[in-house]
Amino acid sequence: MRAARAAGAPRSLVMRYAKYFMAARLGLHTRLAYRGNAIGRSLTYGLFIFVYSRIWTTVMAGRTELGGYGLSALVWYFIVAELPSFAYGRFFGTVAEDVKSGQIAYLVARPWSFLGYGFAQAMGPALLDIGSFAVEGLLFGLLLLGDCPLRDPAQAGALLLSLLLSGVIQYHFQAGIALTAFWVEENSAFLWIWQKFALVIGTLMPIELLPETARRMALRTPFPWIAWAPGRIAVAWDGGLSPALLAGQAAWALGAILLSRLVYAAGRRRIAAQGG
Amino acid sequence: MALIEVRSLSKSFRARVRASGFGASFHSLFKPQWRVVEAVKEVSFEVGEGEAVAFLGPNGAGKSTTIKMLTGILEPTGGQARVLSLDPSRRRTQLATSIGTVFGQKSQLWFHLPPSDSFALLAAVYELPRELFLKRRDELVDRFGIGPWMDVPVRKLSLGERIRCEVAASLLHAPRILFLDEPTIGLDVVAKRELRSLLEELRKREGTTLFLTSHDVGDIEKVCKRAIIIHHGSVVVDESMKELRHRALSKKRIGVKYGGPVDLELPGLSPVKRTADAASFEIDTRSHNLPELIAALAGRGELLDLTVEDEPLEDIIAEVFRGGNAEEARAAARATARARGGLGDGAGGGIDSGDEGGRAAGSQGVATGKQGGVP
Repeated sequence: MRAARAAGAPRSLVMRYAKYFMAARLGLHTRLAYRGNAIGRSLTYGLFIFVYSRIWTTVMAGRTELGGYGLSALVWYFIVAELPSFAYGRFFGTVAEDVKSGQIAYLVARPWSFLGYGFAQAMGPALLDIGSFAVEGLLFGLLLLGDCPLRDPAQAGALLLSLLLSGVIQYHFQAGIALTAFWVEENSAFLWIWQKFALVIGTLMPIELLPETARRMALRTPFPWIAWAPGRIAVAWDGGLSPALLAGQAAWALGAILLSRLVYAAGRRRIAAQGG
Repeated sequence: MALIEVRSLSKSFRARVRASGFGASFHSLFKPQWRVVEAVKEVSFEVGEGEAVAFLGPNGAGKSTTIKMLTGILEPTGGQARVLSLDPSRRRTQLATSIGTVFGQKSQLWFHLPPSDSFALLAAVYELPRELFLKRRDELVDRFGIGPWMDVPVRKLSLGERIRCEVAASLLHAPRILFLDEPTIGLDVVAKRELRSLLEELRKREGTTLFLTSHDVGDIEKVCKRAIIIHHGSVVVDESMKELRHRALSKKRIGVKYGGPVDLELPGLSPVKRTADAASFEIDTRSHNLPELIAALAGRGELLDLTVEDEPLEDIIAEVFRGGNAEEARAAARATARARGGLGDGAGGGIDSGDEGGRAAGSQGVATGKQGGVP
């Protein structure tokens, strides 16, 4: 047997992308092998939902709506908007560690896209996480509020797509930040800034609650497209607005992919091998 | 046909100089100092199909940097490399489908998963049709004897078991060239021996070209037919193992033990160890006549014991690393001439006869500036 698949031989589309599917599957296997690690985050997510439901109950005392959202919608919004934070919040670490430890040198030696592989490997377990957190959130929401805002199958489909796009945006922005490790040894401060903006702009509360100018400015950043878009689709389903939200997310997803690729291309030339 | 062609290949990068003390650290914030490290300097050689080449050198000599340039991980700063007629840095992905890599110090298997999962991922990565993958996997599992470990998480395997799985995994796509960087590091004697015979068998059966770096002389002796020795980034020796062994064979260690105190003053020869009734000598058979010397030693007194040993190959290589004699300079010149001849235009590269550059401390300079630098 010589050169199982010779260099330059034609490749089918399925075989070309099977490696990324397999990477996602192996990422999922790894997560399942360490399923106990998710318990802490599940407890935290449940605690956050409970605390925020109390906060919104206090804030909404004597009101019927705030920024167009009622009490139930605000709590459900929080339940959905927190999903990307809990499921997609840890992409940075793996990429940054690959760069700092030099592991990236061995990963780029394979016939795949480094970022494509990283994305697939990260999204496999992240999709499991988002599914399990969604079930937990649904149960908490039903216990606390007694109703569910998801009624239309098209709404459920749009929410699913929105959460996927949110993952694409989160991974590629976090990877772009992580890849700054090519230049800056300690780059976790950049992630901290990113996370805080993402938290304030669209995760803790809908951007409709921000002052008008801040809201308009926020819409020009990637942050609301991570949590606000899926949260809004979940609680204020609007057949007219939702495609625009998904389109906005898709545009930011493309921007994030482009940005991470640019940072990677610039950083890749700096891979050093002194010391083996 | 040369599968690997390297001509005047160089790699230098800048490392920031970290001065000690608060004042110097503060100053470096505004005016950083950089040190230019020439990791590889104008290295030239060729490797033909089916060859097994040992690429040797002390720590920091530039071995790993060279391998990483040949596999497309690093971009050279000078010269050029062609592997399977491809420029590794520009056609990395295409090249990766036809080469295999094993880095002894870095696992390429997924640590938390069993090797069977890693094999399945690698089959997808190398786009192997399923039937071909299963056939090849079973063949490798059988040949490497790794069946019992295929379903055990890699983190639970011993180093020897893991390395066998690593090498088997690197062969899944039947690469034409296998680059091995310190494959036996940390292995026990038995595991080393098994791995070496597997590599030798692989080369014979599949004609795979092996390019191996190692600090272990056993790897070199058992697996390789040719040695390229690199030091301070330059090739200082490029010759067949036969030639290298011949050098070792020309050096002998002679030990003598007598029944009582003897006078061992011999013209042109002084012992490296001496007691009243025993001594040991190191001689070069090209300058001393061995039978005459033994006869002379036997005539000095009541001889109880006499031993003649070859100088270990390890010592010869260590001597080259230290740059101890002019012979290496001549070997370097031969290597350069060979590489130049094979590559055609003779431009640059290598070390000229008598040039001490290859053994001098690596050229370094200091530059200042803001851009560049290496993490």
